[in-house]
Amino acid sequence: MKIIFDTTTIDLTPTGKSYRVDMDDKTAEVEILRADTEYGKLDLLIDGERVTAYVSSDNAKRWVTLNGRTFVLTKQSGSRKSGAKSDHSGELTAPMPGQVRAVNISEGDAVTKGQTLMVLEAMKMEIRIQAPTDGVVKLLAVKQGQTVEREQVLITVE
Amino acid sequence: MFKKILIANRGEIAIRIMRACRELGIKTVAVYSDADKNTLHVQYADEAVHIGAAAPKESYLNADVLIRAALSSQVDAVHPGYGFLSENASFAAAVDSAKLTFIGPSAGSIRAMGDKEESKIRMKEAGVPTVPGAEGLESFPDFEKAAKEIGYPVLVKASAGGGGKGMRIVWDADELPEEIDAARREALNAFGDDRLLVEKYIPTAHHIEFQVFGDKHGHLVHLFERECSVQRRHQKIIEETPSPLLTPELRARMGEAAIKAAQAVNYYNAGTVEFIFDPDHSSPALSGDEGFYFLEMNTRLQVEHPVTEHVTGIDLVQWQIRIAAGDHFPYQQDELSQRGHAIECRIYAEDPANGFLPSTGKLLQYIEPRGPGIRVDSGFRADDTVTHFYDPMLAKLIVHAENRKAATQKMQAALRDFIVHGVTTNIDFLQDVLAHPDFENGKVSTRWVETNFNWAPPSEPSFEALIAASLADFSVPSSKSQASSMNGVDPYSPWKTPSGFRN
Repeated sequence: MKIIFDTTTIDLTPTGKSYRVDMDDKTAEVEILRADTEYGKLDLLIDGERVTAYVSSDNAKRWVTLNGRTFVLTKQSGSRKSGAKSDHSGELTAPMPGQVRAVNISEGDAVTKGQTLMVLEAMKMEIRIQAPTDGVVKLLAVKQGQTVEREQVLITVE
Repeated sequence: MFKKILIANRGEIAIRIMRACRELGIKTVAVYSDADKNTLHVQYADEAVHIGAAAPKESYLNADVLIRAALSSQVDAVHPGYGFLSENASFAAAVDSAKLTFIGPSAGSIRAMGDKEESKIRMKEAGVPTVPGAEGLESFPDFEKAAKEIGYPVLVKASAGGGGKGMRIVWDADELPEEIDAARREALNAFGDDRLLVEKYIPTAHHIEFQVFGDKHGHLVHLFERECSVQRRHQKIIEETPSPLLTPELRARMGEAAIKAAQAVNYYNAGTVEFIFDPDHSSPALSGDEGFYFLEMNTRLQVEHPVTEHVTGIDLVQWQIRIAAGDHFPYQQDELSQRGHAIECRIYAEDPANGFLPSTGKLLQYIEPRGPGIRVDSGFRADDTVTHFYDPMLAKLIVHAENRKAATQKMQAALRDFIVHGVTTNIDFLQDVLAHPDFENGKVSTRWVETNFNWAPPSEPSFEALIAASLADFSVPSSKSQASSMNGVDPYSPWKTPSGFRN
């Protein structure tokens, strides 16, 4: 999977437990040791070296702090839907980029809180999109097999 | 002792003062503007009073509203903090008239030190060394003659001035008429008073200030110096004590001069006597000129007071309150000493690569460093918004260690652990100042950042940073995603453990 930050292209390839990362003429073997979602803290093993990074995101912007240095990167993305903001209550957005593996509901269905509505797959990881409240599916914005961007609207429940 | 105090300020200093009140068993009243409804200082207080719109003029600088808030909440005393109305003699007098106690010096002391011309004349009378110069000048030939006698470069500054307004550096006689006119205009606009004084300009000057402390019974001591020469745009960013430049003899003589200065205006409570120190012209043996000159006195608590607290072991804010309540300050000069070394870095939401312009926005992430000898005074947390209405200082990071080298290392480690996302900060810049040989050798003068330090941010993000950013998209779910936030308590959530990975 290719990710572009500003003018740099990073290529991620899952290799069992870890990832191979290619960038221009550089290559590294990276393992995620721990991901602390509250602090956006990542403990990584990059070519055997322990690295701690803090990452925050704001739409396409990524703030990264590593070894006390902070960088601001802008993710380039063609497929991103404009206006796919989740300020609207009831809008369920993709927590990370990936592919829609299963859709368990149709528009108009009544759903209950906690029900799994959709399953995404990202980098061999499965993510369940669940109903935040009881309600009715107002909008189903994606199809099975479709590739979605981070923060793209998937479903609206009202 | 007081039962309840109103803090006429906001942000980190309001919280700092409230902490001292809590320790002394005193209730606190916060004040807040429209922009500050949900800030930490409001939540920290026992009570809070809304005082007006976001613009400082309509809230934190509105003396009438503040006095009304103090009376309606039935406090005994008002602490002004620093900035805003802290050095406003009329406010101090208004607090007195309302039969409340102003936690600070008398209105008379504030007034006497507030005018640069008057304070300089008083200091000369008291035998405190001042920068060679002339006051009370009116006609242009008077200025021309004075500047020639002093020798160029000279500094022309507004008598009523502050904050660099109405202040001009004049490098030679040709520029003098133009700069005097400009300074007069600025002074008239900013202070409604166009009196100017002229003095010798010292380009390699260091800024060294002395903390003084006095009670209402005539006992006055100094609590040593703070070296505050690392500045940008005439504002301090790193302060430390002891100063790497002072010998014990010089320290003692500057301390005596600071006490003399404070005594000359019958000072009590916490105050700071600022000196310009010229290490190139400090030759007491040759000429008797020790190279230090009175600059001004700040009649309030300083932003950088924590470094003094750490090396002296004295809680300045607690003692401000006790002294205001009439207590005696119990320590004699010879009982006070400096232990170890303390450094403060001011963490600003500003962009050093863009003229140190303030950076505003929401704090996407905010993590303060912790550890032995590390103190953070702040008024922000994650998700708070940094607005353009107030000073962009996010926090003060203070470290205390056994010597200057250890304190510097501790500061460098603490800065590495200070994570701020969402606004640009000066953290990287501070790291590079601390790592510079001129800082290590005590060679940083007040104009060093502008003239000697060509700072540039790292142009390219490191490979590791790019790796982290790309992997974060897959391992740290978007905080904006409803699904992830609402599933935060879901025991099956895949991003709690790596077991979400399919084989």
